[in-house]
Amino acid sequence: MTRTLLKNGRIICPAENLDIIGDIIIERDKIAYVGTEKFENKRPNLIIECDGCIIMPGAIDMRVQSADPGAEHLEPLSDLLSAAGNAGITQLVSLPATSPAVDSAVMIDSLKLRASSYKGALFHLYGAMTKALENKQMAELGMMAKAGAVGFANDLKSVEDSLLMRRIMTYAKMLNKPVIHHCADPYLTNETDMNESETAIRLGLIGVPAVAETIMLQRDLNLVALTGCRYHAAHISTASSVEALRRAKSQGLHVTADTSPAYFLLNDRATGDYDTAFRLDPPLRDEKDRLSIIEGIKDGTIDVIVSDHRPIELDKKMLPFGQASAGAPGIETLLPLAFSLYHTSNISLSKIINALTVAPANAISLTIPRLAIGEQANITVVNLSSSNVVRGANFMSQSQITPFEHYPIDSKVVGCFVNGISMTK
Amino acid sequence: MIKIACIQSNLMGKEPQNEKIIPMPAATLSKKHILGIEGMPIPEINALLDRANYFAEQSKETFSTILANKTVLNIFFENSTRTKVSFELAAKRLGASVLNISVSGSSVKKGETLIDTATTLNAMQPDILVVRHHSSGAPLLLSQHVDAAVINAGDGRHEHPTQALLDALTIKRSLGRISGLKIAICGDINNSRVARSNMYLLSALGADVRFVSPSTLVSPFFSDIGIPIYTDMEQGISECEIVMMLRLQTERMEGREAPSKHEYFNLFGLDHHKLQKAAPNALIMHPGPMNRGVEIDSKIADDNNKSLIRMQVELGVATRMACLEAVAGETL
Repeated sequence: MTRTLLKNGRIICPAENLDIIGDIIIERDKIAYVGTEKFENKRPNLIIECDGCIIMPGAIDMRVQSADPGAEHLEPLSDLLSAAGNAGITQLVSLPATSPAVDSAVMIDSLKLRASSYKGALFHLYGAMTKALENKQMAELGMMAKAGAVGFANDLKSVEDSLLMRRIMTYAKMLNKPVIHHCADPYLTNETDMNESETAIRLGLIGVPAVAETIMLQRDLNLVALTGCRYHAAHISTASSVEALRRAKSQGLHVTADTSPAYFLLNDRATGDYDTAFRLDPPLRDEKDRLSIIEGIKDGTIDVIVSDHRPIELDKKMLPFGQASAGAPGIETLLPLAFSLYHTSNISLSKIINALTVAPANAISLTIPRLAIGEQANITVVNLSSSNVVRGANFMSQSQITPFEHYPIDSKVVGCFVNGISMTK
Repeated sequence: MIKIACIQSNLMGKEPQNEKIIPMPAATLSKKHILGIEGMPIPEINALLDRANYFAEQSKETFSTILANKTVLNIFFENSTRTKVSFELAAKRLGASVLNISVSGSSVKKGETLIDTATTLNAMQPDILVVRHHSSGAPLLLSQHVDAAVINAGDGRHEHPTQALLDALTIKRSLGRISGLKIAICGDINNSRVARSNMYLLSALGADVRFVSPSTLVSPFFSDIGIPIYTDMEQGISECEIVMMLRLQTERMEGREAPSKHEYFNLFGLDHHKLQKAAPNALIMHPGPMNRGVEIDSKIADDNNKSLIRMQVELGVATRMACLEAVAGETL
């Protein structure tokens, strides 16, 4: 029997309200022990010294766009899952904007089947809210739910038709699945390049105002009140959206939200000299927005931190800013960048870990990850005092243009177990 | 704030018509390329203007060896007549070999990227690339992938540095100075690279620059970087010595940014009545091509006592000669 001892780490488990220095023993695919007693006589096959490290439940990344199918050469599904595992992510949820789009049960079946044969993070899927993600006709949500879709999402265009959105929400509620929406008013957003700002004026780029996000979010929140649907606002980037969510939550609406590191670590000034690495969707906002996002994480208005991983071909980035594709890979930097909130913004480790584990599991109804005897051994080990800088060239993905190139990080994933199997290289 | 103290140049405050022409040396630039006016040191701006003024004073044939053996490629990803011809003439008067390439008609249609085009052209070892592109920032991107010096001949909504230089030269030759002048730039500011380059250049040389535009065509962020905005034309051009009109695309005046051409001309078109609010003997400029009867009354545009529009075109060649010569210095 394989028995692994994670020795003398700081064990933090929000679901168990646990924060101790101790050991964890993994036997086969399960956690066999969590505590402070010493187990020299159990004779582990493998001892991992965890001094100075935190041991947390395996991270869940609930916003990942797979390039496969459609652009397998950029990042085949096998590489995505293996890179995620190596980066401490034990479960990920893939968005439906592949080619073809994940808008039918058969697509879900096929991708889940393929993923099950790869070593790496556990794989979940959202189904497309609308057929071919065209925002015109509801997709077969019920059959996708039966096939295992954990929720329904759109691509980077919001469902503009409020009646269609209302019906999707009503139908999703019947299926007890959440709707995950990227919010951007299409009229204010169309043909824009970056956040409306002094930088945009200086560069001669077309700006989108921050309220473009909030207008769509606020409409959605009104529809949530009408339909009672479970709703999750994706990659929130503005102060006014945080405020709208705060209000909705205080009114008791069943709403959750996520953001990604770009929106709490960077602002629109980074776009500086037309560097397309900083072309993201939503775009980087101003400093006031960035600080509000951090406040939102602190007070729990923003529940989840996601990678917002979106592999982009190099060719699509080596273009004038206005023509370049928006997006960046993020799965391999999610944990170190999320933990930078601990180092720079005084957010507790427990809060950050919660945003990476329990909160996403709650938002999409996955089993709550716990470090407790008998639980599946999905565990991430992070060294919090490892100075380094992000280098896109070191990514496993072929998509290596990151807005965090040379960004300093103070933590490193040193161990990751998915159902008891070690994922780190 | 972009307003910076003005450094006196040789021309400042003098009447060029009445003085003996002192030969001015070629301008020397601290950067290899001319991509924009933003950040260009004032002495370099003045050196380019002085040299351009010198070229303008001399006969056409005098400088035909300066760029002998040099190759200038005019690459225009966007249609242009006057800028392309102006650069071509400038290069020819300096003795360079010039090739005009309209990329919109060739490789772009075949899916070639800007960087591929740059690499291909680079292999042919040109000395200077003159680039116009519909995307802001494209000349910068191109300059990162070629060995030649790059001159921005207008990129998207970003900058059009040689236009601003020729405008400044036109003003200097007409009024003898730039410092202290009240200059109104009127029209579609948001979408104008001419407005941006001029705001940097004229402010740097000490002019009091303001924008006059309907609020739908000028972002409040311009006032954050130090340019006052007027939405009332008569107030905006009040006491201005120079009124610079910008071209406005017709579709913007048909319900998108302004309700109609009629209303636009009524509120923001330059006519004799509004012009009376400007300083006595105020001069009119326009980078062209004009929409007669839309942003500017034909009578004003054609009034040689008021309009500097023809002079702008004439001085464009001399200005571009100074720019070509200056960047060629880097490739010698």
